[in-house]
Parts: sequence; C-alpha cells; structure tokens
Amino acid sequence: MAGALRRNSQKRGEETVSPAADRAVQVRGLTKVFGTGVARVTALGGIDLDVTRGEFVAVMGASGSGKSTLLHLIGGLDVPTGGSVHVGGEDLSKLDDDRLTQLRRRRIGFIFQAYNLLDVLTAEENVALPLIIDGVAEREAQERSLRALELVDITDRRQHVPGELSGGEQQRVAIARALVTNPLLLLADEPTGNLDSAASDQVMTLLRSLADERRQTILMVTHNASHAAMADRLLRLCDGRIVEQQTLPQRRSFGKVLEDLEAW
Amino acid sequence: MSIKHAILGLLSKKPLHGYELKAAYEEDLVPATQLNYGQVYTTLERLGRDGLVGHEVVSQAERPDKKVYALTAAGRKELREWLNTPSQLDLDLRNETFLKLTLARRLPAVDPLDVLAVERRACFERLHEVTQTRARADKEDASLQTRLLLDLAVLRLEAFLKWLERCAEILKKEGKKR
Repeated sequence: MAGALRRNSQKRGEETVSPAADRAVQVRGLTKVFGTGVARVTALGGIDLDVTRGEFVAVMGASGSGKSTLLHLIGGLDVPTGGSVHVGGEDLSKLDDDRLTQLRRRRIGFIFQAYNLLDVLTAEENVALPLIIDGVAEREAQERSLRALELVDITDRRQHVPGELSGGEQQRVAIARALVTNPLLLLADEPTGNLDSAASDQVMTLLRSLADERRQTILMVTHNASHAAMADRLLRLCDGRIVEQQTLPQRRSFGKVLEDLEAW
Repeated sequence: MSIKHAILGLLSKKPLHGYELKAAYEEDLVPATQLNYGQVYTTLERLGRDGLVGHEVVSQAERPDKKVYALTAAGRKELREWLNTPSQLDLDLRNETFLKLTLARRLPAVDPLDVLAVERRACFERLHEVTQTRARADKEDASLQTRLLLDLAVLRLEAFLKWLERCAEILKKEGKKR
C-alpha cells in the first residue's frame, strides 16, 4: 500500500516537476498583502511550511496574525501575492480556474466555524452535494454520503435539515461533507468556535480519531490551547510569520498518563 | 487530600475491612492513586481513638481474624460537617516557574522570555497527553471519576498556559518601555 502510494505520488511529481509529491502541503515564501499605499497591510510575510501525509497540524495566533489567510491560501480560496503552495504535489498557481476548482472539490475538505450548510437540504443531501456537483451519480452519491455520516456518527439525523440540528450536530454534518470526497487534506478554520465545551470536545475527539484511524491530514486554525494541543504539531503565527513550531511527542499509554496525575 | 475523610466516606456506605478500604479508595474514589497499608491502618487507629470509627473482629476459617470497621454516630457527624465546610484550595501560587521567572529577571545572562518559552512548550506537551487521554477516556467509557479528574487537569493546564502567555505579554511591554 505504502509502496503503491509512493509510486503514484512519484508519477504525479514527474508530471508537475515538483519535489513536493510525498507531502500533503508544501508552502514556500508565501506572502499576502492587502491594499496599497498607506492602507497596505501585510497579512503574511513569508511562510515556509511542510505538512506530511497523515499529520495533524494546529495553527495558533492572535486575531490578525494571518492564520486564516494562510488556511485560505493553502485551500486555494484566495490568491497569494508571492510564493508558492503545493497541495498533493500540484502547484496551485499553475492551475487554471477549472482545475483549481476541481482540486478544491476533490482533494480538499473545508470545515468552517459557521458550518456553512444549506438550510433547505437535509443532512444527507448536504453531504452528498459536493459529489453531485462533481457529476457523481445520485445513487452512488447517496451511498457515500451515508458512509460519511456513519463516520461522524450521526446517521440517525440524516433526514433532518440544519435548522433541526444542534450546533454540534451541524458541525459533524459539515465534517462529513468535508470527508465525503475522501480528501487528501482537511482544512478546519476555528471548527469549534461556535460550540459549547461539550460539543467542542466531541468535534475535537472526532478530528483526532480521523488522524489516528484514517491517517487524515488535517490543518486546523484555532485559538483554543487545549484544542491545539490535540494536534501532532503546533505552529504559532505572529504578524504574518511563523514565530514558533513545536512537535508534540507520541503519547504514552493511558495508564501511564493517569498514574502521573497522582503526582500533581 | 484527606485520607481520614475518604475513609469515613467509604465506611458510611457499609462496614469494610482494611484491604477492602484500600481497594475501594483506589478503584472507586480517587482514580490513579495508591494508598499503602501503613497509611490505612494508622488512619483507622487514629479514627478509632477519636471515637469516629468502631471495629468488630471476625474470625475466619484457616485465616487470621480480620477487623471489620464501621462508622460511629460521631463519625457520621464529622463526615457531614466536613462535606459542608469549604476546602482548603491549593492554588500552588509560589510554584517553580514563578521562582525561575523572578530570578531570570534579576540575572543579566538569562532572558525571562526564554524561560517562559521553555515552560510553555513543556505545558503544551502535558496538555497534548492529557487532552488525548481525556478523549480516550470518553471513547473507552472510563469511570466518571477518571473523566472528571482529567477535566480538572485540562482546565488547570489551560489556566497555567494563559498565565504564561500573560507573563510574556507583560514582560515584552516592560522591555519596550526601558
């Protein structure tokens, strides 16, 4: 399996002549400037970042530090002023609008603070929507939607419209929608920002198990320290630059951590 | 933690002998702790002397007699009063980090912001472990006490991290003034 993956990515690498093929994300010298003259604001001042497949990375920083801008540029939702972004070995700047849209739709899953579900569609239809838009047959889209809803453990609410769901349930549906295309990369912008602490914990536990059990690559923006601490790596942004990086060590056994609490 | 009151509390449900008390304390009352027999028996002796606990000797076939302990009326009263009295909160204010920070500000060779950065990284590592253990506790249906204890650990670490960040902000401002 790993060998097949490597061969595949090598092939893609040759096509795009990119060294980034084995990485989910490669960012080099990324800058973003808004406005001109006196109104000129540098949102990102030169970011270098690699995210390997299966890694869960959290981005922290104060408001205005550039963390959402970074996420938007990696997701191809906005265009950088300078530098490059490769996702799955593809240089976003080399893609025309159609191919960029296709990459966004098929290889990247987005989760937002405000869920962004369509009010008139049921949970199941919301999740199936990215597939329908992509031309997948309705029957197959429905089956895959159901599987994604199973993954976030909310199949019992599949016939409900968003208005009939709690915030936590809506966010889980949104996560299912992000996962339905089996994306290479999951981008989450403050995914727990609108949730109470119990629902937040549930969403974070879900993201963690996606990383553990499906080796889902996740890049998450948050300003909640204990949510950031659930990732494998932390990035701290300040004034558009990465000022600190920290890899969090492999966890010890459940019992060992509990034992240590005794000493507190 | 008050072992005395923990024992009174465990005995308020039903009489127990020493080994049962130790097991109940470790398994049901305070997860992730170990109580040694010495502690259990010294405490029981003192409780007996103060008239809060009584015991009865039960003879066993082929084994030494065992003492089964029970709560007295005075013990029950003591337990109720203790439950309704506010606890001594250990806020651990003069902790090691505080001491390091204070010293670092006096020593020219050390940057207190470096001290804070080291502490913050260590704190995040702890938080990483504890939050993941907390998530697993939910998944694996761990006992309620375990989950509550882990919540306390998460929230205390969060608060400590916030304090570290506050310190860094204030020190940076002070540095600019000078």
